[in-house]
Amino acid sequence: MISRLARVTLLLLTLFVLPPTYADESSVYVVAHTNTNIIKLSSAQLRKIVSMRQTVWPNGQPIVVYTLDSNNPVHQTLCIDLLNMFPYQVERLWEKLAYSGLGEKPINVESEKKMLEFIAKTPGAIGYVSDISKLTSLHKIIVVED
Amino acid sequence: MKGPIYVLFAISTALVCLTSRADSPKALQWHGFVAQGLIDAQNSNFVDDHGDISLKLTEIGINGSYRLGSRFRVAGQAVYLNGGNRYPEGIRADYLFFDWKAVASLDWQVNVHAGRVKNYHWMYSATRDVPHTRPTIILPQSIYFDSFRDVALGVDGLAVVANTSNSWGDWEYYWSYGSSPISREQTSNLVGQRFTGDFKQKFVQQFNTVWQRSNVRLGIGILDSDFEYTQGADDSFVDGDVSIKRLLIQASYAASNWQIAGELFRERTAYTDILFPNFFDDATAEGGYIQGRYLYSSDLTFTARLSLYDQNRKDRDGRIREAATMGAIPAYFGFQDTFTLGLSWDPAPNWRTQLEFHRVKGTGRLAPVLIPNVEVNDQKYWNIWAAQLMYWF
Repeated sequence: MISRLARVTLLLLTLFVLPPTYADESSVYVVAHTNTNIIKLSSAQLRKIVSMRQTVWPNGQPIVVYTLDSNNPVHQTLCIDLLNMFPYQVERLWEKLAYSGLGEKPINVESEKKMLEFIAKTPGAIGYVSDISKLTSLHKIIVVED
Repeated sequence: MKGPIYVLFAISTALVCLTSRADSPKALQWHGFVAQGLIDAQNSNFVDDHGDISLKLTEIGINGSYRLGSRFRVAGQAVYLNGGNRYPEGIRADYLFFDWKAVASLDWQVNVHAGRVKNYHWMYSATRDVPHTRPTIILPQSIYFDSFRDVALGVDGLAVVANTSNSWGDWEYYWSYGSSPISREQTSNLVGQRFTGDFKQKFVQQFNTVWQRSNVRLGIGILDSDFEYTQGADDSFVDGDVSIKRLLIQASYAASNWQIAGELFRERTAYTDILFPNFFDDATAEGGYIQGRYLYSSDLTFTARLSLYDQNRKDRDGRIREAATMGAIPAYFGFQDTFTLGLSWDPAPNWRTQLEFHRVKGTGRLAPVLIPNVEVNDQKYWNIWAAQLMYWF
């Protein structure tokens, strides 16, 4: 009985006290336009796309990157959890690219709603959201692996 | 004075064009910056020959990038600068090149640039001319020697930029080859005012690689360059050559609210003739800096830095040259060590104020290099303070 109680307590702790790892990792989803011929990316590949060093999909289609403001919690989660960088490092990389001629800045949008709107109407687009309930047939989720 | 007005007009026009939010990808992208400051470099000719408080801290720039299909692009930047003696005043094209995306797989990206390309090889060289991308108004002079800014900023030639990733981390490779035009002002930074000839860079070649894993970034690079001087009419100088070879290493570590970075170099410079027939001087300089930054908040950053420079590793205190010139060149021209404290505050988006103080020992990084100005630079210890307000878009 004690053993069973201990197991139930442990299960409850796991569910309600300890933050579930899956939920944490899922708090940001990488979303692309449905015509993007990619279903998964490594963390390094995503880092190159978001930092604007990779600007073309393997099929030759230009990549259009949409981002949220640097102080947006969803953007911060993306940087830290999926890109393995701090938001200020990503910001400085964009500045370096845009002001040295090496590349371009991504397109900044004001909300997740706008992010999904623009991804839906831009072939080759990629972005990220925390809420996937508004995804349509014009969106697809990209799995990000370490 | 018309030049800066034209640049300002161009920036204003671009600002008007940018008033609508760019939500869809555009072939043409514009950015720019305007910065004005106050600077005082007491007891030195760093900014001007009097060491007074000066407004000669103006930087205005505009750049554009135009996509030509998915694999080609043209990018360019024009700037107006006024930094007093630090570099020649006026408008220049910092870069203007054609970019070809030669390889664009998910694991390898290789770009080839042709035209006037930037120096991507040092930690801050690619954007040393863009105020808000610098940690401080004045970069460490051990490596980012302002008197040779235009020569070090880039080359007219070719560059290859490549990056990849593997299980060891992310790898970046940079190679460039070409030469930079050298103005009369730049020549005077080397030999002083009494010349009538032409100084030109025959070539400069650089290669470096950077490895990054998580928050650690390490890099190593080499530079090889030759210059030649051609004697002019009634010239005090004669035909001659300068050869420079540099090894540079860089490292940085980033944490959530602080960052440490540093670069170290060893540079061998050989002068043949130039000053007089059969003159030969071969010295190896060493230097570098270590810099810590504390990000107190997203708007406020504190910076502390120690920069060291020895003109000749076999004469670090400059006494051998002082003796060789019978005291004409004081020993403190053999080195320049600087301790810097600075802060950077963003009062509003795209606006920044920087304030900093530099305590300097030695005058080894003050122009002219070959024939130092011992009359104005007559103090071993001197200070710089500077404040600058900048806006970018």
